Amino acid sequence: MIHIFDGAMGTILQQKGLLAPGYCPELLNVDKPEEITAVHQQYIDAGSTIIETNTFGASPLKLAHYNLSERAREINIAAVKAARAAAGDKIKIAGSMGPTGKFIKPLGDLDFEDAYENYKVQAAALAEGGADYILIETSIDLQEMRAALLAAKEVTKLPVICQLSYSEDGRTVTGTDPQTAAITLDAMGADIIGINCSLGPEQLVPIVKILSENTEKPISVQPNAGLPQLVNGKTTFPMGPEDFGNWAPKLVQSGATYIGGCCGTSPAHIAAIKDALKDFPEPTFKPLRRRLMLSSRSKTVVVDKELPTVLIGERINPTGRKKLAAEIKDGSFLSVKKEAMDQVKAGAKLLDVNMGVGGIDQAKAMKKAITEISQLTDAPLVIDTSDPDVLEAGLRAYPGRALINSVSAEKERLRTFIPLAIKYGAAILCLPLTDDGIPKTAEERLKVMDIIISEAKKAGLKDGDFLLDGLVMTVAADQYACAHVLNTLRLYREKYGYPATMGLSNISFGLPNRPLINSTFFAMCLAAGLDAPIMNPYDEQMQNALMASMALLGKDPNGKDFSTNEKNLSVPKKAAVAKQEDLTPLEAIKQAVIEGNADAMPELLEKAFADNIDPNELTEKALTAAMNEIGVDFGAGRVFLPQVLLSAEAMRSAFNIIKEKYPAKEGEGKGTVVLATVKGDVHDLGKNIVGALLENSGFNLIDLGKDVPAEEIVATAIKNDADIVGLCALMTTTMTEIDEVIRQLKESGNTSKVIVGGAALTQDYADEAGADYYAQDAVIALNIANDIISK
Amino acid sequence: MAIFNSPFFEIDKSETKRYAGLRQSEFDEKIIEEACELARLIIHPTGNWEIYNYDDKTQTILSTPPFHIQGESIKKHLKGCDKVVMLSATVGQEIEDKITSLFKEGKYALSLILDAAATSAVEQNADLMEKAIFEKVSRQGYKMKWRFSPGYGDWPIEQQPEMIRTSKADIIGVHLTESMMLEPRKSITAIIGLYLMEEKCTNVEQKHNCAACDKTDCLARK
Repeated sequence: MIHIFDGAMGTILQQKGLLAPGYCPELLNVDKPEEITAVHQQYIDAGSTIIETNTFGASPLKLAHYNLSERAREINIAAVKAARAAAGDKIKIAGSMGPTGKFIKPLGDLDFEDAYENYKVQAAALAEGGADYILIETSIDLQEMRAALLAAKEVTKLPVICQLSYSEDGRTVTGTDPQTAAITLDAMGADIIGINCSLGPEQLVPIVKILSENTEKPISVQPNAGLPQLVNGKTTFPMGPEDFGNWAPKLVQSGATYIGGCCGTSPAHIAAIKDALKDFPEPTFKPLRRRLMLSSRSKTVVVDKELPTVLIGERINPTGRKKLAAEIKDGSFLSVKKEAMDQVKAGAKLLDVNMGVGGIDQAKAMKKAITEISQLTDAPLVIDTSDPDVLEAGLRAYPGRALINSVSAEKERLRTFIPLAIKYGAAILCLPLTDDGIPKTAEERLKVMDIIISEAKKAGLKDGDFLLDGLVMTVAADQYACAHVLNTLRLYREKYGYPATMGLSNISFGLPNRPLINSTFFAMCLAAGLDAPIMNPYDEQMQNALMASMALLGKDPNGKDFSTNEKNLSVPKKAAVAKQEDLTPLEAIKQAVIEGNADAMPELLEKAFADNIDPNELTEKALTAAMNEIGVDFGAGRVFLPQVLLSAEAMRSAFNIIKEKYPAKEGEGKGTVVLATVKGDVHDLGKNIVGALLENSGFNLIDLGKDVPAEEIVATAIKNDADIVGLCALMTTTMTEIDEVIRQLKESGNTSKVIVGGAALTQDYADEAGADYYAQDAVIALNIANDIISK
Repeated sequence: MAIFNSPFFEIDKSETKRYAGLRQSEFDEKIIEEACELARLIIHPTGNWEIYNYDDKTQTILSTPPFHIQGESIKKHLKGCDKVVMLSATVGQEIEDKITSLFKEGKYALSLILDAAATSAVEQNADLMEKAIFEKVSRQGYKMKWRFSPGYGDWPIEQQPEMIRTSKADIIGVHLTESMMLEPRKSITAIIGLYLMEEKCTNVEQKHNCAACDKTDCLARK
């Protein structure tokens, strides 16, 4: 059956002159309910079968703008009454809840629990007033939607409609795509899933289609009347009722059964929808095959027997890892974040998160880990714990559909974990364990699995919510351990067809050459029906086994990925070193500096020392010569600053080695340079670059740092009998300090040459300030310094 | 007021290269990658924005107290606007400290590229904030001018204190030194003009355009 919502409310109230500036539109529900009832009546007359209360901004957080938070309950109840006065018994009322206008942590500063409490107040009042649905709408953030949905489910029994707003790129502002929205909200128990606002019907057709391909829940859609324009000084939406109505059949064909309008739509638009759908055949939908789909805020991952294997990264687990455990304990989490990033880079598609550190508040740690990781990667997360409180903390914080690791047939586990899976829309990893221990054979394991799945289904979980664990024991203790696992995988697939998982490395415990056993076992399991191994994604041998298995099992058609992976190409690597062999030691060092190859220096210098090359000659003919060449290339725009710096690093490496070999040479620099970023200025990267080039070209460098007072610069120049003073300032507000330093230097009678530079400086400015030289960039500064010394 | 802390699934490598002055030249991608990943670990991206009415006739932002704009370039840029967004964003101090310590260790190139990655990150955070702002204001029929900051054209950076005040940058931990520098260093303040679509703006380009900038020797010029 097709249901017709209403259209815009605010526009009509505006037209009627009911919204004075600074007046809260929702207060009309209390002050002039008859006006609100009249608008509802217009929509009912036009054909609406569901009308929406005038409560878009009536949550306590929004009402706070008008100092009306305390009246939230009254305003919401009044709104439903005003709607009911028009609706009677036949027309349904949807209690509207709009966004808070703030972002929830970590994206913003609003606490999830505050958002949740906010919506609890509003949903309870809407229900108390007698609404038939709760409508959460125009949300741009999946996390805010989750807070509102949990709140609505907590305080009412009403069906909940969840409508997000999408931008033109097909995602919400905070990155959620419609597939992710559909699977996350469906799993959490949304009754109707949809879209409203932001875009016109044309742009929403493809989004409706994606929603309907990913959930069997009804789809609602309430487009704007096109994209807004301004006519005669007023914002208007260009799409007229007829055009708007014409889109209604297309929206129904794409899968929507609840249709209405948002900004710019009027009773005429709603009448046009009704008219367009008058003789439209009742839509029929075929059921979807429910696959295991997990999501982060902005990405969905499908685990299925027909799809390529999904790696679950196991590294965020402090068991046996002191550093990781210590960081979790002290709250720094740096390794947790790094493991998340690195595992994704290594090919993990899901990340297991375990915070099992003794003596800490694990629930707090889990919440923090989930929050931090979800800001760094879009891989869906697996919450790994045996403690229901830790599990709930993680599930609540997670802006997506997580996987729970794990649910066994132990009574306590079933009792505590399954309700949490249902409440938060998580999938469960099922482990065939009972209170009596581990079943040995495949048949016994299947029996235990039957118990878990039937209990979970009884409680409300469905196909697509399960990942089955094969349960790996060690082959050193039981010669048939591998056979049991392979049989178990086959039985799972035959009976359920659900995807399977397992941690693999236990198989080789107590055996030598474990990597060989592990990777061979891995390949066997993949053939028997393993879909999502929990493993170390950095393990190359396992990755190789996976890559080959994908080609062999037909999941990498024609071995395309396998054939193009560079690991499998027998082309010899380019031998850059071979080229160096044709060069003299000096030429080779020069070449290495130019290429910025600091790593090659120890070996190349060793060779030069063996050939008894004089260190001065080395410096002159190899290092300085290289730097000169780079300077020329830089000036000509053939190389850029980072390359110059790599060369400087190679120079530095060379100098350090030479100094070690000939310590006497130290102090015999080309000349002394005092370098500083002037007082008031804190930008010193440019100055540091100049310093690096000078120091690694043999100058004796005294770097005073940033924000340095004139007096200190002058005193240092005098004390060290500096040949050169280099001054840097970035901005127009700080460069005047350069004038001051030069004035004081001259006053003191010091004769060092002054080179100045910095983003805002010019040759003219340098001249006026009385500087000897202006250096536009670091290489020019080095050239000037060399010139000064050679004079 | 709206605080926004962007997630960072990646830092734009090509922008990082541009800010590092690499343009189209070949460079060891490993160092770029290393810098971008390191940056993601140690940035603390956050931003805040405030929306005010703008009086185009007197070039005044109607905050309390009002903020009188100086500089012909910004006045021209805001011509036709009747609202402005005041925005501030930062990636925090930790990455700044790391840039300094890496340089001291002699990892010059990595330090320079990390500095560029931090710049990309703060711009990326602001870009995403713009997307959120657009979502909100476009419903009222507004379009947005590109972000403009003190120091662009002839807009004097002496107006930074007013930018800090009106964007409420103190909420995100950004403040000014006596010499008008933002701390943490990898921070921005900016103004975004909002204009109603029908009205004609004399300054029509929608995107920040390097060709329109008079700093011709800029390292990152496109």
